Amino acid sequence: MSKDHKPELRRSVTPWGSFSWGYSDVGADIFVGLGLVLGAAAGASNVAFLFAGIVYICIGLAYTELAATYPVAGGGQYFVLRGLGDIFGFIAGWAVLLDFTIDIALFAWSCVDYLSELLPIVSSTGHPWAHFALTIGLIIGLCLLNVIGVRESTAFNGFVSALDIVSETAILTLGFLFAFNPTLLVHTMQSSWPTPFEFMKGISLAIVSFVGLESISQAAEETQRPASIIPRTSIALILTILIFALSYANLALGMQTWHPIPLDAHGHAQLFWQYLGNTENNGKAVALIAKQVPYWGAIAAFYVPVLGAILLLISSNSGVFGSSRIAYAMSSGRLLPSIFQRVHPTFRTPMVSLFVFTAVALLEVVFAALPSLDPTMATLYAQHFNGESGIDFLGDLYAFGAATSYSFVFIALVALRLFDPLSPRKFKIPLNIPLRFRGERAEFPLIAVLGFIGIVAILIFTMITHPIGRVAGPLWILFGLGLYMIYRKRKGLPVLHSFKRDWRSEQTEILRRAGELELMDEYIANLKASEERRAEVNA
Amino acid sequence: MNEVLTGSIHPTIEGAVIALLIALAIGATLWWMLHPPASFVQKLAKEAENELERMVGSIIVVFSPDILSTHMMALAAKLARGERSELLAVYIVEVPYTLPPDADMPVEEREALDALGAAETIATNNGVSLRTETIKSRSTKQAVLDLAKREKANLIILGSFREGKYTGAPLGRTIEEIAADAKCDVLIGVEGKHGTLLYDEPTP
Repeated sequence: MSKDHKPELRRSVTPWGSFSWGYSDVGADIFVGLGLVLGAAAGASNVAFLFAGIVYICIGLAYTELAATYPVAGGGQYFVLRGLGDIFGFIAGWAVLLDFTIDIALFAWSCVDYLSELLPIVSSTGHPWAHFALTIGLIIGLCLLNVIGVRESTAFNGFVSALDIVSETAILTLGFLFAFNPTLLVHTMQSSWPTPFEFMKGISLAIVSFVGLESISQAAEETQRPASIIPRTSIALILTILIFALSYANLALGMQTWHPIPLDAHGHAQLFWQYLGNTENNGKAVALIAKQVPYWGAIAAFYVPVLGAILLLISSNSGVFGSSRIAYAMSSGRLLPSIFQRVHPTFRTPMVSLFVFTAVALLEVVFAALPSLDPTMATLYAQHFNGESGIDFLGDLYAFGAATSYSFVFIALVALRLFDPLSPRKFKIPLNIPLRFRGERAEFPLIAVLGFIGIVAILIFTMITHPIGRVAGPLWILFGLGLYMIYRKRKGLPVLHSFKRDWRSEQTEILRRAGELELMDEYIANLKASEERRAEVNA
Repeated sequence: MNEVLTGSIHPTIEGAVIALLIALAIGATLWWMLHPPASFVQKLAKEAENELERMVGSIIVVFSPDILSTHMMALAAKLARGERSELLAVYIVEVPYTLPPDADMPVEEREALDALGAAETIATNNGVSLRTETIKSRSTKQAVLDLAKREKANLIILGSFREGKYTGAPLGRTIEEIAADAKCDVLIGVEGKHGTLLYDEPTP
């Protein structure tokens, strides 16, 4: 082998591997999101999930088309950079970074919640300090594991994902078969319909259950035949998650419980959804539903908390790994200072990125845990933040980061359809308007507009209903933009404009590296035909 | 309402239909995902793999004083183990026309025992069963072709070496004739120790 051979990521991720990379991230969301949405949207939780689910389908289709067309690591940040330029690429990447840090904090927090179902000593309400200490310990542990270069393997992800899908399908099918009462569902929806404010809050939190498609795009560079495989794995992931989310929401509202529901903190009787959505239980709602499934619940009560905790820990780890990878990619693209590319001398891992974003996640955990640790802080939060605390705060920011980055991805999709119509698209979102743009035939995606309206609505709901999210989220973006501008100015780089890049050569190289040789031929032929057309017009 | 009805099951038709739909939808989605259409490159690879399965149904490894196939025997054994092929090692003793067809040729027969013994050891080490045979014939080429016809062989494996000089038949006359006339696939393993093409040219 010649010495100047450049190393490339090995394309070893199979269809199941690609699916499980996404599933181990998105699949964990319902374990957190269900309780939050039930607590906010009450009897309309299923409708909130449906609304967010429709937006999620649009997001999923957009990601699917983009990841299949541009199969490189980087995901949303790369698509926006390519479609809208450096500064918007930075904003999208910075919002994704926020989500990854929340990913670390929220899922580590929720992992401990699920464990507390078997180990009450770490319960967030009974023993807040133990809960806090274990969450912090898990995050630091994950960071150190990533610094020494230990990552969960695709095989392990695949195994846990398969186990979880079988388990969740069993819980839902047996739950609907033995314990679902349609009359109760209708009754709950009628009697517990939320106020518009609560409903908006529920919708903004429901999107939390669908965040993580990014992982499939992140692994695009390691996936076999990405242009063909990613559309399938993404669509399968979208459908699987949507089926689970809608089913859980409807089951929670219409379930005839196997065991009596405990009384609430004030000694009053409560409905099942109220029990799942209260502060004590909203971090472990899936485990509590599983426990109430007739017969199966006796087994599920033991293994679902463990399975949930493992899945949530994997998801938290994907936040640690993903944030460092995105920061590294942004630094390579000169969107962030080069310090984020600094690697550990022995382990060759991006230690600065790992430490910085883990530290941000730890700060978020501290901020989320303060009200439960100190009664004075609880009073302060109640006065200034509408009584929001802990997991709510993390959910707020998660929804904000996701909605921001997804909004830019929709705009980038439209821009790339218009400015890069020659790249072959193995998967194309349906419902397009054909048009001519700059002398080339292009297609305007209507679904992207629909998705954009939906995600902007969710962003507005987040800003209206989350007192912490509407302050902390934009502050994060502004802080990042300040950092970006200082860095670009110091380095003498364009601040508001972009570098000149040869996207055509890069696209050919991307398709060659992806092993999509037929698409590479098609792209080269498209370029040639386009040049011939231009030459004819000029002549 | 809840507390009254706990501890008993109340299946409903709606619940059963939803349960069935969930199981079917999840199963169908995953099945569809795991069965993507093959690309052109994958189809080529699949055809080659199918061809290999056909090719290695029955393998004959040929030895003779001029055909040195011990290193190819090791390859054949690994191939046979992976593809569960029938394996036959044969040593051809060429009898000159100056002797009767069934003449005793103790030196050549002793060499045959060594070669076939080594072949059996290789097969045993690789966990495959092997038949061995020694054939006396006026023509090695004809003996191999007749044997291939009798055994309905799919593949003949032969070892060869470069003599370091061009003789008009660089792999050996007999080997080239077998390769030209056999009605099945022929795999010739040429030892590379006398080759010159793999050396790096010194840069001036």
